[in-house]
Amino acid sequence: MSPLRLLNRVGVYGFLGAMVFLSVFPFLWMVVGMTNTTGDIILGHLSLGHAFLDNTAKFFVQANAPLIFWNSAKISLFGTALTLIVSSFAGYGFEIFRSPTRDSLYAGLLFTIMIPFAVLMIPLFMIMGKLGLINTHIAIILPTVASGFVIFYFRQATKAFPSELRDAARVDGLKEWQIFLYIYIPTMRSTYAAAFIIVFMATWNNYLWPLVVLQTNEMKTITLVISSLASAYYPDYGVVMVGALLATLPTLVVFFTMQRQFVQGMLGSIK
Amino acid sequence: MSDLKLVDVSKSFGAVEILKKVNLDVKAREFIVFVGPSGCGKSTLLRLIAGLEEITSGELIIGGERMNDVDPSHRGLAMVFQSYALYPHMTVEENMGFALKFAGMPKAEIRERVLAAARILNLEPLLARKPKALSGGQRQRVAIGRAIVRQPKVFLFDEPLSNLDAELRVHMRIEIAKLHRRLRVTTIYVTHDQVEAMTLADRIVVLRAGVVEQVGSPLDLYDDPANLFVAGFIGSPKMNLLPAVAVITAAGRTALRLPDLGDTLVVLPDGTPRLDEGRAVTVGIRPEQFSANGSAAFDLTIDIVEHLGGTTFLYARKDAGTAIVVEMKEGRTHKPGDAITVRFDPAALYLFDADGSRIRAGV
Repeated sequence: MSPLRLLNRVGVYGFLGAMVFLSVFPFLWMVVGMTNTTGDIILGHLSLGHAFLDNTAKFFVQANAPLIFWNSAKISLFGTALTLIVSSFAGYGFEIFRSPTRDSLYAGLLFTIMIPFAVLMIPLFMIMGKLGLINTHIAIILPTVASGFVIFYFRQATKAFPSELRDAARVDGLKEWQIFLYIYIPTMRSTYAAAFIIVFMATWNNYLWPLVVLQTNEMKTITLVISSLASAYYPDYGVVMVGALLATLPTLVVFFTMQRQFVQGMLGSIK
Repeated sequence: MSDLKLVDVSKSFGAVEILKKVNLDVKAREFIVFVGPSGCGKSTLLRLIAGLEEITSGELIIGGERMNDVDPSHRGLAMVFQSYALYPHMTVEENMGFALKFAGMPKAEIRERVLAAARILNLEPLLARKPKALSGGQRQRVAIGRAIVRQPKVFLFDEPLSNLDAELRVHMRIEIAKLHRRLRVTTIYVTHDQVEAMTLADRIVVLRAGVVEQVGSPLDLYDDPANLFVAGFIGSPKMNLLPAVAVITAAGRTALRLPDLGDTLVVLPDGTPRLDEGRAVTVGIRPEQFSANGSAAFDLTIDIVEHLGGTTFLYARKDAGTAIVVEMKEGRTHKPGDAITVRFDPAALYLFDADGSRIRAGV
């Protein structure tokens, strides 16, 4: 191997290694941190400690773990399911049905993706207030159901859905909603899997909006509870790391169980 | 088995008129093939019949009933698509039985019908497979099987063999012909492949720009084209079409001067129409109509030689004139650059007017 090529190879691997370190280090830090005391963590202790059981016990004392998990799971699962149903229906509709206003409506929808959530937060809070939904989980779920990004994602994916499948289903006697239910959804399974992962993760990790709209402890989600643990007067970082790990686990499980479909879905369901 | 009638059927997409007053009578059990170049409206016409597009004006009558506003599934039709359109998440058996299941037919009856169709198409070993585990030919057979189980009054085929390789296409073509002979269901078949049209059809409908140019049996269309378009479209290789100018000879006979053949004069035999001096026409002659003993002869230089084994096609021209295709049964010794003399019988010529219409005897 010529010196230039060797240098090039070293450069590429060095860069990739740095990127891997940047991605993996927070997880490593989390795992190491939950076995150490706050003092050790502040001192930058990078090896496994002996405080894991102590930290875990403290976490379960300080936080009502079953309740906050249930809250997060309920919001994430219902929210994701509703988002997938509504947004995939809209994406399908945008692609399949022609109308003179379709393109301008769609452009308007794409525009909403560019609006930062902070801008929407106050009007949204007022709307939820008027609907009497403050401090309810519905207030978290509702604003995400018709997601501009997910509609865009499904419309793009629907472009690969063969029109002849729809024609065949019509000749077989299916109405439009039946085509969607019996043909489109099963055919686009990978697209749904990829969208499920994206939406589930976003909903599970959602912080700002639940912080604004959820006001009592029994309604709070895991992200809010971890944040409140971290912002205590004397934060116990070992306990925070236990919470962070527990909060990360469901998203990891979802991702790794659906990884294959996720990749397929990102590439396109139809081959 | 039903007859099917199209009365003044037109279709427009916005301001664009795709089909213009199409009239057609399809007899029960007949095999009709729609052919025409891309964009001629043949697939749209099939979709109108299937109910996948709305008819803008005119009437579609199947088995004596007006079907314009009837749902596709209630027209008594089954359709086979170019891309097969098999439901990817269902097995072969589920695909074939889906329409029946949806119509509420008992399971046992569905299975009976699916098995009967599978037997006809040799699909029995594949019933538990999903479409992705099938070859192109097998998928096409499943698509046909799915149509058969519905026991339709009319079969619709939309370029069903276009996605298959050449060998499989020939095989499936024969299978479809056999199937039609066996089931005797009225069939409408769309293709741009004229070999499929010639070999399968009882009658061919030639379409161009949304208009029916001619309807007839394959050999009628080949032997007696109604106009220049049909003459050029039907036949492979195409009919040779050469511009010509009418000349009246000193003896008072009509002759044609062919500029592309070095102004060769071809005297037309008795019985062919008399043309006015100077009238511009197009002369058509099929590649196989050149023979060793015709009365008209001209010299050409060979550009390309295609040896197909039993037949040889020579692509030849005179100077910079139009390339002429000559079919020879014994042309194995010819090679590019050779000079040849070709002969034909002037009585075999087809004559077309400047507007493309056929000039027949007595015109």
